[in-house]
Amino acid sequence: MPDTAAEVRQQIREVLVGVFGGPSFVSQLQDAGSLREAGVPSTALVALLVAMEDAFGFQWDDDVRPEVLRSIDSLAGHVLALRN
Amino acid sequence: MSAEAVQDEYYHDLSYREGTPLVGTREGVALYHESTGEGVAITTLNNFFFTAPFWRDYTDELAKHYRVVSYDLANHGHSTRLEQEPTWEEHVADLVGLLDALEIDSTYLLASSASTQLARDVALAHPDRVRGLVLAGPVVGPQIRRHRMLQRAWLRTLNSNDIPVLFSHMYPEFVSTQMIEEYGVPGYLGLRESFVAMSTPEELNNGLALAQQGDPSSELLTRIQAPTLIALGDDDILLGPTAGHELAALFPNGRCVIMPKAGHVPFLDDVLGFQELVRKFIEEAEDNA
Repeated sequence: MPDTAAEVRQQIREVLVGVFGGPSFVSQLQDAGSLREAGVPSTALVALLVAMEDAFGFQWDDDVRPEVLRSIDSLAGHVLALRN
Repeated sequence: MSAEAVQDEYYHDLSYREGTPLVGTREGVALYHESTGEGVAITTLNNFFFTAPFWRDYTDELAKHYRVVSYDLANHGHSTRLEQEPTWEEHVADLVGLLDALEIDSTYLLASSASTQLARDVALAHPDRVRGLVLAGPVVGPQIRRHRMLQRAWLRTLNSNDIPVLFSHMYPEFVSTQMIEEYGVPGYLGLRESFVAMSTPEELNNGLALAQQGDPSSELLTRIQAPTLIALGDDDILLGPTAGHELAALFPNGRCVIMPKAGHVPFLDDVLGFQELVRKFIEEAEDNA
């Protein structure tokens, strides 16, 4: 189980590679950049959220704010916040 | 639901087609539109929560048989922004202007929820331009009071909070029980992300406010001669199956088809089934024309 923000971000990237079927697109994503603005469609976002539940062992709550889902950084921050 | 299954289930490409010229409809107004396929025209009508690109995934099969035209209403999406929200009459004029510009003599209108009122008004004002109506989750006729109450509640939620909170209010009301169970929280969050991306608070406020207006008389429906299909989910909280059949009976040439376990926007629940329903309706209407 990754413990640091860098490790969590890296694992989210690995999940995204699985969602997109390869590393080429994911390697262009900035940690703090908007996933939607980078071209991540909602379908991929949903797939990412499902995969994150499996990868990090938690379940999403439906009142999580949209800004949590904005970027790799914010997603990683949410994972770490849940652990703490 | 696995990540792969979700990937197949959700695809909401909301991007606009770059380089698409806007079409002038009346002074100071130009509309974004997309036209796909050839043949008899089907024109989709946004209900203030959708944008033109939204329809692609719900009309792709129809576009193999017909010319599907989707557009953004004036003051919404990529169409001209105005100081004031257009009236229903102006939205009617815009649609007719769009049809003129695209050289479409007559069209089927595919409307959902609040835009069923626009479809009704176009059919009444320009019967020669309307080949038929498909009203999905209609909010015209005897049940309109309930819909307007619900929309006022959505408007209050929007103005007291923000779009994500509005979505949390609306979701269990417009989405079917089955879809909520199948999609789970990740699906809810994904749809919310699309919803937030499609509209600004101002657009939603304007649309919800306009939806409160318009003639609520059921008698208007008795004047519509165009073939009319009411596509109704049996889990639509705004209109039950019995009331749906009663509503269809008001139209001189109307029918109601119930879509099992679907909600207020029934094509969300059964994308292919809905399009097949529409295709058969048009096929029959064209045979009888």
